[in-house]
Amino acid sequence: MGSAELLQYVIAGLKSGAIYALVALGFTLVYGSTGVINFAQGEFFMLGGMLSVFFYQMDLPLPVAGAAGVACTALIGVAFERIALRPRRDSGPLVLIIITIGGSMVLKSLARHAFGPNEATLPEFTAGPSLDFAGAAIERQTLWVWGLTLVAVLALTWLYRKTRFGRSMQACSLSHDAARLMGIDTARVVMVSFGLAAALGALAGLAVTPLTQTSWDVGAGAGLKGFAAAILGGLGNPVAAVAGGLLLGLLESLSIAFVSSTYKDAISLVVLLLVLFFRPQGLFGRARKEKV
Amino acid sequence: MRLTRSLVALAVLAALALPTGCAGASDTDGTDGAAGGEPYLIGAVVSLTGTYAGLGVPEKQAIELEVARVNEGGGINGRPVEVLFEDDATDAAKAQAATVRLIEEGVIAVIGATGTGQTMAMRTDLERAGIPQISMAGGSVVTAEFSEWVFQTPWPNRVVVPFVLDRMAEAGYTEIGIISDTGGYGVDGRDIILASAATPGVTIVADEAFNPGDTDMTGQLTGIRGANPDAILMWAAGKEAAIIAKNMRQLNMEQPLFGGPGIARAEFIEGAGDAGEGVKLAAGKILVPDSYGEGTEPYTVASSFIERYTEAYGTAPDIFAGHAYDAFGLLADALGRIEGEATPEAVRDALEATTGWVGVGGTFSYAPDDHNGLSADDIVLYVIDDGTWRLDQ
Repeated sequence: MGSAELLQYVIAGLKSGAIYALVALGFTLVYGSTGVINFAQGEFFMLGGMLSVFFYQMDLPLPVAGAAGVACTALIGVAFERIALRPRRDSGPLVLIIITIGGSMVLKSLARHAFGPNEATLPEFTAGPSLDFAGAAIERQTLWVWGLTLVAVLALTWLYRKTRFGRSMQACSLSHDAARLMGIDTARVVMVSFGLAAALGALAGLAVTPLTQTSWDVGAGAGLKGFAAAILGGLGNPVAAVAGGLLLGLLESLSIAFVSSTYKDAISLVVLLLVLFFRPQGLFGRARKEKV
Repeated sequence: MRLTRSLVALAVLAALALPTGCAGASDTDGTDGAAGGEPYLIGAVVSLTGTYAGLGVPEKQAIELEVARVNEGGGINGRPVEVLFEDDATDAAKAQAATVRLIEEGVIAVIGATGTGQTMAMRTDLERAGIPQISMAGGSVVTAEFSEWVFQTPWPNRVVVPFVLDRMAEAGYTEIGIISDTGGYGVDGRDIILASAATPGVTIVADEAFNPGDTDMTGQLTGIRGANPDAILMWAAGKEAAIIAKNMRQLNMEQPLFGGPGIARAEFIEGAGDAGEGVKLAAGKILVPDSYGEGTEPYTVASSFIERYTEAYGTAPDIFAGHAYDAFGLLADALGRIEGEATPEAVRDALEATTGWVGVGGTFSYAPDDHNGLSADDIVLYVIDDGTWRLDQ
């Protein structure tokens, strides 16, 4: 295998990986502030793509349609937390997780009825032939995917480290009760993290639509890959989620190159299981020490 | 307060979930037609949700259109036709459960399913009950694994694949790379490609697969590009096919891309955009009615159906609507030929005796050892040109 060919596999892996990373960031955000895995995260990915297509077909310019799609999905995320989760917030994580599974089914069925059964697409953000990089081709949309992922992770890191709100989120991830005693409005923190998580998922769904098309049923697959990426990296840390996503994408792509395209999903899931076996906190996560 | 709030939330959720809750239930058509007497009860299992929803919805629409037309015209033998629809959600287990429900309703024949996997899941129960099945799925296995109770309307892969390979060889493409999905349709197609490539003198130099739902095939295509084939043959249905066409463009691959009826959908052209231009695919003649030959009987049949369907639903029928038209039409034709009581057994015998019935997918002649009834004469090669299908050459 030539070096250009290997590079092409790496590019393909990093492209899928960046998408997994954006979805994984959503899992991490919600887990950070609530301790709950939000299984509706994949549906936010689907809604981002489908709503943007919907606005685009109403003859809005692409940037406006995309922004409106992401904003609407964020609002749906906030509403989802407010209507479905908050009334049961004292019931413990298991109940909440099951509610998110139910919520994902509702969102998926609604999308099926609202948008119909067929796939839909958007034009590329900047049209034009692929760019040549050391003999490997990179399509322009991939650069958008990478750029958006980079912006998202930088903005999140800044939010976590430098803002009062970010510190409130960290406090919530340690203990809701203690955070509330310190005067933090925990309900608001949870609501905003759902909005942000939905926006991140929607951004990923919007960015891939020109490459892959979208339809009402893409959420489950995206959610599964994003969840695997978040677990692989380590839940609760934005940088780990991104690293997990990129690593998962690379693993899949290199499995195609060196083993078999039929078994690429199986290979990456076996690696995921091995990581969980030896490092349950994820590759880049910090083990939580419980003081008794 | 907390309690009422959660009740309200639950009620909202329940209300939102309702439309899907009903999806599994039967709905009926055609009881209020002009014809009198006890209706012929027919079952139909289609995929209205799930991966094949884009195929199953036009199928249901085509059947509804034809049922209404038959009943308004006085029914069959003076009796109306009633079709019970079931949604299998593109799930083999649900197709089987739907079949059991239909058998209990006392249907005399079942149309379905949309997909190959779902079709095969229905077989055991129908054979046991002795009820004929007309499948709208294109997998060769449907009629290659022969059952005296099962008939098929699409051109199976074992007819289409050799046709495409012949055309590729004629065009001088003797070293080809193949890419197929790991679902029923792709695996069936791949097996037949590998088995029949040698006849027209074609060599398979690369053989890659992808999973349904995959969103990026540049990895597989990089492998194919490395083998440097003359052309690429893709056996897939659904949105992955459009991704493959786009990925080829992204990798600056210049090889011609060939495919089968699985990509004969407007969504492929729309999804692949510029990358779809020049893609060649084999499918039935419904996409360009002129290919039937103007003035011939098949031309009249197809253009009448296209006209009525377009008027009713605002879009031209695709090949899947055509498969459903044929399935119901064959059944109606068989029922019309039955003298005496229309038992499921009599329907089966009448279906098998079908000779020269002109439908949209071709001219059907079933025989005791041939329950597909179509040949390579019923398919043509199209090329995608300027966002639509055009006959190749």
